[in-house]
Amino acid sequence: MLPATAVYHFPWELKPSAIADGTSVRTFGRLTCYRPEDSTAILSSHHASIKYQVSVQTSCVEPFNPLCGALYIVLGEIENTEEGSGVMLRARVMNCVDGVDLALLQKAINEQRSFFQKSEDNKGSTSG
Amino acid sequence: MEAEQAASEDEPPSLLWGLDPVFSAFARLYIKDLLLMRESRQVPGIYLYKSHPIFQVDILGTVVFKREREDFYSYGVDDGTGVINCLCWKSEKWKEPEEPFKGGRAASSSSAVGPSGGFNVEEQLRRLQQAQRGASMLEIGDLLRVRGSVKTSRGQREIMSSNFYKVSDPVMALQISWMQELPQLYRRCYQKPFPLSDGEPGTCATTTGGQASFSSLLGRATQTLRDFLREKEVRRFRPYDVEHLLLPLVPQLPPLTGSEQASAAGPSVPSHTRHLLSETLRILQQEGTLFRRVLSQDELYHVTEQDKDLLMAIRDVIQQDSKRQKYAEKGCHILHILSSVRRRYSQSLSRQALEVGLRFLESSSDIISTSDCHYTVV
Repeated sequence: MLPATAVYHFPWELKPSAIADGTSVRTFGRLTCYRPEDSTAILSSHHASIKYQVSVQTSCVEPFNPLCGALYIVLGEIENTEEGSGVMLRARVMNCVDGVDLALLQKAINEQRSFFQKSEDNKGSTSG
Repeated sequence: MEAEQAASEDEPPSLLWGLDPVFSAFARLYIKDLLLMRESRQVPGIYLYKSHPIFQVDILGTVVFKREREDFYSYGVDDGTGVINCLCWKSEKWKEPEEPFKGGRAASSSSAVGPSGGFNVEEQLRRLQQAQRGASMLEIGDLLRVRGSVKTSRGQREIMSSNFYKVSDPVMALQISWMQELPQLYRRCYQKPFPLSDGEPGTCATTTGGQASFSSLLGRATQTLRDFLREKEVRRFRPYDVEHLLLPLVPQLPPLTGSEQASAAGPSVPSHTRHLLSETLRILQQEGTLFRRVLSQDELYHVTEQDKDLLMAIRDVIQQDSKRQKYAEKGCHILHILSSVRRRYSQSLSRQALEVGLRFLESSSDIISTSDCHYTVV
């Protein structure tokens, strides 16, 4: 009954083939385009001089106040589309977090990931 | 089967759970750990995370599921590692005020300042209730902070909240600091084993359960011996004089290999009593409560505070040296006193025992400390 856990992913990790269809993820990006008639939005982000885009289906979170150029955190399920290189996310939660320190958020996510990795390694080594 | 046995052996005895600070605190664990925690075999309703007994938890996460009933809300909270259900009871205070009240005060309710020009308590109370209601009614996507106890109902883990509120975190400052804080809490606190002994962890080589009982036993034994020496004003004693004091504590020890009850002569004293006694005496020596004047085959212990010769020697050293110009103003340093008393009284006197003697003399106003480590006569 409860939805699946939405783990943090960076926008550049959401490649069409990397993540299975239906996985719940949490990611962020700047709102560059919003089409209310299609209920689609595009979130873009930059990483290592490459621009990444994530398409978001916003039918479940409407109406929301779209601020173009503002940073958003989106939580939803991945739907791999055939066309183009983009990945589609069906949003369940869309929060504006404009003003967030992206570098700090990235650092916090990486710290958490390395902590989980170390715990897994410790568990593996003690049980093995 | 073996894993289960190992797991049940890992559980510290429930009597000692109160010693673990994590037990009394609202533990900030990841939701995935809350879902995987196993229930204690000793007390159902308490859960164990790495041998720490967990009763109350504190979580922060996004609401991804909401269900409202007459008396409570059921929010599904997702913190990025797991999703858990939280039962949040509605409060009487938040219910909408009745209509007749509203109608009567329509004129004056809009302003905070009442007709008399003073502070309008009813208006403030109404605003407070509105704010409280606002903080408790959440929608999907809001950030929720919940503190409450963990329960398992119908096979599902959930949190029965005692305190919950909507968190306003527009730039994710709180969520980021939470993400950074939890790994540190885990490393410093939750992943460390249950704090059973405050001394060296390697003294007792038995299982965790055995270690718990031995260190608590040691604590009781040292206290028993201290009380006895103080009440009877014992000046000197040998180990066999006080062995009988520890016998009542002994049956609680887990039995060692076979039955080692037989001894050479006199009343039978099991070897683990002797081990307990030697550990107790070692701890009291380290504290300075006891000391051995002469290190020989004969184990004769002197009780520091009762040894008049030692106290007189300390006082004489300080008295005589304080007359010298070198020490007149500042007093004698503790290390100087230590070397003089060792020469005069006992070579094997420890610094801790000297400190106990000095404190005793100071409390009876024979000497006074001029600074942290200097003493002079009164």
